[in-house]
Amino acid sequence: MYFPYFITYMSIGLVISIVVFIWALKNGQFRDQQRARFLPLEDDLDQTAAGTSRVSRYEMYGLFLLALAGLGASAAVLIYSLFYAP
Amino acid sequence: MSNPSPTYQTAKGFCLTSAFWMIVGTLMGLIGATELVAPDLTKNIGWLVFGRVRPIHINIVLFGFVTPGLLAAAFYYFPRLLKTELYSERLGVVTVVAWNIALVAVVLTLMLGYTQGREYAELIWPIDVAVIVVFLMVFFNFIMTVKQRTEPVLYVSVWYALAAVILTACTYALGNIVWRPSSGALVGIPDAIILWFYGHNVFGLLLTPLSAGVTYYVIPRSVRAPLYSHTLSLLGFWSLIVVYTHIGTHHLLQVPVPTWLKVIAIVDSVAMVIPVMAFLINIWYTAKGRLGEIHADIGAKFVFTGTIMYFFVSIQGSMMSLPDVQRVTHFNNWVVAHAHIGVLGFAGMIALGGLYYILPKVTGRPLYSRLLADIQYWLVLIVSIGFTVVLTIAGLIQGNGWLNGETVYRILPQIHPYYVTRASLGLILVIGAALGFYNIVRTLFVRSGEAVT
Ligand code: HEM
Repeated sequence: MYFPYFITYMSIGLVISIVVFIWALKNGQFRDQQRARFLPLEDDLDQTAAGTSRVSRYEMYGLFLLALAGLGASAAVLIYSLFYAP
Repeated sequence: MSNPSPTYQTAKGFCLTSAFWMIVGTLMGLIGATELVAPDLTKNIGWLVFGRVRPIHINIVLFGFVTPGLLAAAFYYFPRLLKTELYSERLGVVTVVAWNIALVAVVLTLMLGYTQGREYAELIWPIDVAVIVVFLMVFFNFIMTVKQRTEPVLYVSVWYALAAVILTACTYALGNIVWRPSSGALVGIPDAIILWFYGHNVFGLLLTPLSAGVTYYVIPRSVRAPLYSHTLSLLGFWSLIVVYTHIGTHHLLQVPVPTWLKVIAIVDSVAMVIPVMAFLINIWYTAKGRLGEIHADIGAKFVFTGTIMYFFVSIQGSMMSLPDVQRVTHFNNWVVAHAHIGVLGFAGMIALGGLYYILPKVTGRPLYSRLLADIQYWLVLIVSIGFTVVLTIAGLIQGNGWLNGETVYRILPQIHPYYVTRASLGLILVIGAALGFYNIVRTLFVRSGEAVT
């Protein structure tokens, strides 16, 4: 018999969610939405973007090789699957 | 505004936890994948048999790598978004230490064969209690930080993180049947229902909201633009809470559970399109026309890629909840492919993105090596996509055989090549994890390079 656990849990969850929702409504959490959009940007906007790596040319070669290996693996898989197809 | 919480010990601790356990978790996955190719490899090593390696892999990836990575970012953005200090950095550090002790216990007990044998709920009772306690500690720290805030409006990331932590503490207790310490289980079908109610919530109410929280913070900041719509983000949040909580039965469509439960699960799995698209539209519109900035920041690059994976995994998930589709995809590697796009491609990517985004800020120094991070990005990406391709193909072969009443042993040789490819991809991921760990340790502990001003 699982109903008691389930129904208790669901009801507690529902009640808490409704209480929190009403709190949010009364507390003005759904007002001032235009300002809320800017909240992540509000502290020190002087952040510097993380630089790109210095050895970019070798990086490009390396990444290209890796991507090629990945594609090669996928191609191998497809060829295998066709080969093994009954 | 002045730096509200200058030490960030907790965030750093969780960064390190995540980076370290990523190696262990992926290594366990690699060992498991190798055993599927060569079953006799660890024949005489009891503590490394597949039945023990697999639960270690999933528990460590879940609670050792992804969750701590996402929490690291949350411990960074909470004080900043609420314009206050973290309630207690000391409590945070104690949490990190307790968390790691619990993870060591997870590995040891599972290796020694102490398990409750229920998927995602294998851990024995004392560890269950430890997990619940650490989640409650995190929640207490978060909610007290909210209480002392000077910013009246709670940004959507704060909502997501709070909900994730408290809901997980509750569903974990329920799903692990903590009131029955010896078995940790109910009996029969009710046990399956409650287990999958919890098992699904681990992804839907822990990884998903924590990842959404990190994304809602990192993307607007890295593109230096306000969120497209905060109202839409709250709509996404509340609909996730309403819909995601009771779709666990879509894991049991081929089991004799009550039909009404299946119907609820299927309808709401399809309805998941609402919170998913509310989130994605919001993030993609925020980033629209600013992909250059995302490319320039390695953290944002990981996070943004994670959102694309989220699109795929969720659309796929909604489809997989349809009984006709599941007749082919259930009980085979298709689901394993889905699991890896979700946990690695979506939540894992975003966890790594969160780490790389906050590391320069919590240390005050640039990342040790952008190149290593970029390589790790590509390795994780290639592996996520590679897993998806090979496991989906293997799954379709198995599903087709299953549907046609083919015997298992005749299918096994057909999927062998995919298992080999899968294990090789696993090796690439372990290498990626090791590179990431090195990079993160160097960034945290070695004082080199110029300070970020
Ligand atoms: C709209 C969103 C989603 C829906 C509707 C959905 C649906 C499903 C369904 C129906 C299954 C069971 C498949 C079967 O056993 O035949 C499943 C399995 C799974 N899902 Fe999802 N999914 C969604 C998103 C996600 C996300 C975001 C993650 C990860 C963060 C995830 C992780 C998993 C995992 C790990 C499993 C495997 C469970 C097992 O061990 O059997 N899913 N999903």
